[in-house]
Amino acid sequence: MMQHDKPQPLLRVENLAVSFDGPAGRVRAVNGVNLSIYPGQTLGVVGESGCGKSVSALSTLQLVPTPPGRFESGSIWWNPTPGSPGSSPESSTKSSETSSETGSDPVSLSQPVDLLKYSEKQMQKIRGNDIAMIFQEPMTSLNPVYTVGEQILEAILLHQKVSRSQAVDIAVQALKDVGIADAASRLRVYPHQMSGGMRQRVMIAMALACQPKLLLADEPTTALDVTIQAQILELLRKLQAERGMSIMLITHDLGVVAENADVVAVMYAGRVVEYGSVHDVFENPLHPYTQGLFDSMPILGSSKHRLRTIEGNVPNPADLPSGCPFHPRCRSYAGDQRCTASDPPLHEITPDFREHWASCWHVDGHEQGKATRPDVDVVTQIHA
Amino acid sequence: MGLAWIGLVAFFAIFGPLLASSHPILWKTADGVSSPMLRHLTAADVIILAMALVAAILLCLRSLHFGKRILIFAGVGVVISILSLILIKPPQAIVYSQYREALAAEEAQWAVMTIVPYSPTDRFREMEETRFLSPSGKHWMGTTGDGEDLCSRMIHACRIALAVGFLSTGIAICIGVIIGGLMGYFSGWVDLLGMRLVEVFSAIPTIFLLITFVAFYGRNLYLMMIILGLTGWVGYAVFTRAEFLKLREQDFVQAAIACGLPLRSVLFKHMLPNGVTPVLVSASFGVAGAILTESTLSFLGLGLVEEPSWGQMLNQARGQGGVFTWWMAIYPGFAIFFTVFAYNLVGEALRDAIDPQLKKAAQL
Repeated sequence: MMQHDKPQPLLRVENLAVSFDGPAGRVRAVNGVNLSIYPGQTLGVVGESGCGKSVSALSTLQLVPTPPGRFESGSIWWNPTPGSPGSSPESSTKSSETSSETGSDPVSLSQPVDLLKYSEKQMQKIRGNDIAMIFQEPMTSLNPVYTVGEQILEAILLHQKVSRSQAVDIAVQALKDVGIADAASRLRVYPHQMSGGMRQRVMIAMALACQPKLLLADEPTTALDVTIQAQILELLRKLQAERGMSIMLITHDLGVVAENADVVAVMYAGRVVEYGSVHDVFENPLHPYTQGLFDSMPILGSSKHRLRTIEGNVPNPADLPSGCPFHPRCRSYAGDQRCTASDPPLHEITPDFREHWASCWHVDGHEQGKATRPDVDVVTQIHA
Repeated sequence: MGLAWIGLVAFFAIFGPLLASSHPILWKTADGVSSPMLRHLTAADVIILAMALVAAILLCLRSLHFGKRILIFAGVGVVISILSLILIKPPQAIVYSQYREALAAEEAQWAVMTIVPYSPTDRFREMEETRFLSPSGKHWMGTTGDGEDLCSRMIHACRIALAVGFLSTGIAICIGVIIGGLMGYFSGWVDLLGMRLVEVFSAIPTIFLLITFVAFYGRNLYLMMIILGLTGWVGYAVFTRAEFLKLREQDFVQAAIACGLPLRSVLFKHMLPNGVTPVLVSASFGVAGAILTESTLSFLGLGLVEEPSWGQMLNQARGQGGVFTWWMAIYPGFAIFFTVFAYNLVGEALRDAIDPQLKKAAQL
């Protein structure tokens, strides 16, 4: 399954741990997260509020405020020129038994760089230019005192060596690309004169004006109406297909993931508990938490029975239960020593499912599975 | 109403030399028509007049970018200042009586005088007793113990009052916003250090410091402004810090950082305009406070000697000649009162405009 002509991931998060110092002591928001995103791929990151989704994304751009936040371990490898399949034979360390815990430098042709080691100055070149981010709340993501045009222009002029009039052309084109009619006159409009959907479009235009290779979308549709949600997601899909960029789509909406993502990472209490292609995860959810998520989702047309909820509450990250953090709420938990004693590592579940990882002692095949870095390079064109 | 009064005071401050001067605006002598008043303008007068003109022109040109306006204003200011400091050399020895004598002797056929035809330091030496005259048609607000026209002095004092208010507050805002902004943005140990600095500075008694400096370095208006600025920034720093702490968590600031904007741009372009409003409110109270402090010092006799100032006139009303001259107390007194009152009104109005909640609460 780990062929030699496998492409390099654009972004690889390795064993990331981020903690925050608060009045209640140190809180680990992210605890050993491993993720990979390949060129052109959409990675959906799902999980409840506070499970570390956003912190993982913010860490990528070093936007986690430090202090109170601190990076405890891990690295975020950024490879802006990943080899295309077949073109670059690589000395593969991945096929060997590399533990995700070691975080050793991957040996590859194009040198990936560790974004966590970058200085603020270096990060400024990455931000907006290579990796852009759009936020959850379009109503507050634009500066109220400047016109939309000024804000887009500022980003363009910062990253591209163009004159102001050229930048205006780029901005107009960017607004047209996101489906804003009458783009030229919209440049002179203040954010409060626009609707939420419009503002999110502007945010996307701003993020994409510099042709980033990776877009971090932190719940981009949560604050929008359902119809607008669909439009925005459709727009993201269209732009992704046109530009071949990768998207990390953070959401708590499984429907959005099913529609848009190629690969899913389910997070719980700062960990990735299940990882695989959208198809595998949705067809065969392995982890009890993922199964619980699906059970708690209403299905249109079948309103006969009550929805099943996941019992209990999200654990306080300052005081996680011992062993598997999910075991107090877990359906499969039957007083096993294993569950309370140690946290199950993310193992590849073999042989029935390929490229599908889960961290649960109860999943068949978990013990035989290898602790490889989760890594799915499929770009399934489910939405083509 | 507050704004109208401040506008009036500013008008007097800018056009003081054109409104009250013993030098005729135009007069015709044997040498032909000339303007002694223009010839006697000092470099400071010219700078202020020119800057006012530039500001008015820039205000009329609506299309210009705000930053560009500031840049043009500052640039023109520097050029004009240098030019006028080099070029403009008013005559050193000023004999005010020459105009009146010339007119009386009919050496000059006609002269156009200013509205108040007396300079603030014109002591009418050639005339009979002019000291302590109560207000009359000739001297609208009476004269001082040195025989100077009070109305003229009042007009010229506007400039000092405004200059002290604006410059010291300006210095204080610059320091306060920068320190407060850095404190709020970085928080952590920068904040800790900044807060200690704020505490140290808020413990300094401004008036005593001013008196000490006057004792050691003499009477100097600029020194006074700088000291007022250096001790007055703590309030602005605390306000800005609070605003920036709030703004730092805002999405658009995060978005700006995520766009890769440099720190300077994030701080001053995206955060400052959103957080500066409470600073502006407290600044208008600060200007009032600075004017009051200057008046206090002048009243205590620690202000300027030659230049007219409202507080100094108040002081003169009290002592000289052993009589209480009511006109010298009332006019400057009311001027100080109205100006401080006006600034407070403006501050109040600003606060209401920014925070309508507060207005509602006050009405209940």
